[in-house]
Formats: sequence, C-alpha cells, structure tokens
Amino acid sequence: MGKLTIGCYPGLVGNMGYDFALKLADAAATKGHKVSIWFSGNATGSVKANQKHLKDYSTGEKHIKALLEKGVEICTCEACTVARGIKKDEGIPGVQWNAMHWYLAKIHAADRVLLIGGE
Amino acid sequence: MKLAVFVSDFKLATDTLDRLKAEKLGIILVQNGVYHATTKENGKASSLLDKTPNLYALSDDVQIRGMKDADVDKRVKVVKYGDVVDLIFNDFDKIAWL
Repeated sequence: MGKLTIGCYPGLVGNMGYDFALKLADAAATKGHKVSIWFSGNATGSVKANQKHLKDYSTGEKHIKALLEKGVEICTCEACTVARGIKKDEGIPGVQWNAMHWYLAKIHAADRVLLIGGE
Repeated sequence: MKLAVFVSDFKLATDTLDRLKAEKLGIILVQNGVYHATTKENGKASSLLDKTPNLYALSDDVQIRGMKDADVDKRVKVVKYGDVVDLIFNDFDKIAWL
C-alpha cells in the first residue's frame, strides 16, 4: 500500500476542491492506503467543531470525523487557523495542529503528493 | 516521468500542458473540467482531448452536473474515485492539479 499526502488549500463552503480532497482521501483510505491531509489557507476553517449542518450547505465536520475514524491523518496549519479566529480548544478532536514542517515531512515520506488549490 | 494532471475547470489549460514534459501524460477531468469531455463548441470537441490518449473523467462529477456517462467523448474513460486512486498509484509517478 502507498502513502498519499494531500495539501488542501481551498475553503470548505461550497468549494469543489475541498469536497474532492475529502472524497479522494476516503477512496484511498478505503483501499488501504495511508493518507495524510494538510489544511492550509481557508480550508482551515473546516476544523472548527460543532458546525451546524444546514440542508444543502457545505460543511466539513462529519466528513473529517469519518476520515479520522478510517485512520486518515489530518493536520491544520495552526497559524492559518488562529488567524481566522479559531482557537485550538474549539477544534474537532483528533485533528492535529501544527506548522508547515508537518506538511513537508509528510511530503517527503509520501509516494504521491497532490496539492489542491492555493492562490 | 509518468505525469497525471487533474484538470478542474472548463477553460483551456493547453498552454500549461504544452510546457509539461512527460514520457506518459494522463489527464483526469474532475469538477467543471468534465465539460471538456462532454461539450462541443461549434461542433468541435475540446482540444484538450487531443493532448494525450490517456484521458479520464470522474463519473461522480459528470453525473452531478446532470449528464450521463454515455455523454462523455468516446476517447475518455469514465472512472470512479477508487479508479482515480489506482491511477495515482499504479499508472503515474507524479500528479499535478490545474
């Protein structure tokens, strides 16, 4: 089995890139691959716990929790996250908070790397 | 290098693709990129489809836009997320996102 690292930069609300990243991670994990996701930029807004799941409105929490249960490693850029007013104790349990070196280490250890989005 | 490029938008990315050097190039159409495989302008299919014989379109993204897998150009193989994972690990060395 391989290691896939996904860098996810787009914001979650109504964003196709974010949606794709989570679905691809799920498919890879289901096949037994080791998957790591790095959230940066506006994607970090998705790690806040207690998101209200409105009908036909994109949220990330339940998908993130499902991925964590499958063994997918998810880490949010701490600087990006706190810059958006989200505190660590407000985050979804199990999501890691760290700096860019976490992402770089995962990139170096991965067999495949996919960077989605970014300005 | 065997390179797979995800094309996620319905605008021509040929200038970027032309600059990429790969012994094997794959194009995986996702999100609005699937329109390259389903839409003809003035009767002509997207020139993106002439770039390589290794063309794929994500079925979920075709169907969520109200189209059928049968609407996809015959040169393009319709794939599911699991197939994309297999392409990434088995058919290509590097992957990029446009």
